Amino acid sequence: MDVNVDKTLDCQGLSCPMPILKLAKEIKGMDSGQVLELLGTDPGSKADVPGWCEKTGNEFLGMEEDGGVYKFFVRKS
Amino acid sequence: MGNDEKGAWRQLWGTFFGKTWPMWAGGILLALLNVCLFLVKSPWGGSGTYINWGENIYSALKLFDLSSIKPVLSHTYGLLGLLTLLGAFAGALMGREFALRIPPVGEMFKGLLGGILMALGATLGIGCTIGGFLSGWAALSGGGIILAVGFLIGTYIALRYLLWEMENLPKMSMGKSYTWLAAKGRGGVWQPLLGVALTVFLLVFFGRRFQDNNVLAMFAIIGLVIGIILQRSRFCIVRAFREPFMTGESEAPIGVMAALAVGIFGFTVIKYMGVGTSTPGAARALAMVWVYPHFWLRALIGGTIFGLGMTVAGGCAVGTLWRAGEGQVKLWFSALGFMLFAPLSKKFIVPGFAHMLPEWAQQKVFLPDWFGYWGAALVFFILIVLWYVFVKWNERTGKFSAV
Repeated sequence: MDVNVDKTLDCQGLSCPMPILKLAKEIKGMDSGQVLELLGTDPGSKADVPGWCEKTGNEFLGMEEDGGVYKFFVRKS
Repeated sequence: MGNDEKGAWRQLWGTFFGKTWPMWAGGILLALLNVCLFLVKSPWGGSGTYINWGENIYSALKLFDLSSIKPVLSHTYGLLGLLTLLGAFAGALMGREFALRIPPVGEMFKGLLGGILMALGATLGIGCTIGGFLSGWAALSGGGIILAVGFLIGTYIALRYLLWEMENLPKMSMGKSYTWLAAKGRGGVWQPLLGVALTVFLLVFFGRRFQDNNVLAMFAIIGLVIGIILQRSRFCIVRAFREPFMTGESEAPIGVMAALAVGIFGFTVIKYMGVGTSTPGAARALAMVWVYPHFWLRALIGGTIFGLGMTVAGGCAVGTLWRAGEGQVKLWFSALGFMLFAPLSKKFIVPGFAHMLPEWAQQKVFLPDWFGYWGAALVFFILIVLWYVFVKWNERTGKFSAV
């Protein structure tokens, strides 16, 4: 994905609920407009991350998958 | 095969294995299968699996006398749980979601601890989120309501702990992790092929093995299907209790409510009609199926401990099975803790605990004895409606959501 990433959060190996708890905490400490790249391996995150974004009003930019690792891109609103 | 036909098959496959199923769909299917299990012999339960597996381990190691235990493949719940795990493995393969996911060490420790707490909670409280709650409510047991209250309390406390841990002990959830054997790219077919082959093999193997034992044959087949559905829908009772306090999202609670509603209806019909019974005594015994002597303090204590454990582990008794099947190694540790501790708790802790508690704290309460059959079903439906209203209101207002 062609997007400028401001921060990367590595949640590889973590399972529900840790990726979302860490995502919420990380986004809280970022400025509006900044982009976070979240790396995860829990298949549940494929629905959880976009769902959390929609719920909290943050922008879900997209997801890539590479060999079991999911990369989620979130822009803080 | 023409291109249109190939496209149609691909689309059909895609519907089931291309993405996650809605949780309400999983919930309804699981409840229907639970009704089938009840009709075959006895309702769905989770902790019985781990007790049987653990007892087999201790028996194999010749530690304490367990001459009466059944081997896993001869025990209804030992078998059911095994096929659930294998079914989830097959489901994950077919959905190209299997991978060996080894988490940081702190997470594996939490998995183990969670499993131990669940073992303690399920044996003390009599029942887990499936046997005591999903089936317990369907069985019209008052203890099931108290167990749910316990789960809620335990989940809430454990969630507060996880939030605290993230701030104060971040190393618990940080560190090296490994992901092996994942499906690579869009073209990888080894996982779906293996998943189909495994499913066919399991059906044939157990179908033939239990040719002369209808009950075990049905428990094996239903277990396999339950495993596939659990993994495909990511059905999770932990989420149902935890999500309102976390993101406020309502999908998980509603999925569980759907399962409860269908289960309550199906079980009430079976009990009310006395299906398969021909004497009043047998009908009464059927009516009391899955109504445990744990109302009310025993269920509250056990439920709270179980709620703590399942939230820390990241899966309940059955959630542990399907996530273990998906390759999540944290839940392998949860399964290990559960199966090793459950027989110990059952043998050394529960008798003293039950003796210590007064009689009034551990009663069998069958709601139809108080409200009649349909009155009892109505009580549970009212509870579900109240839960729904709360969950939807909380989703809109975010009053109780932490993140």
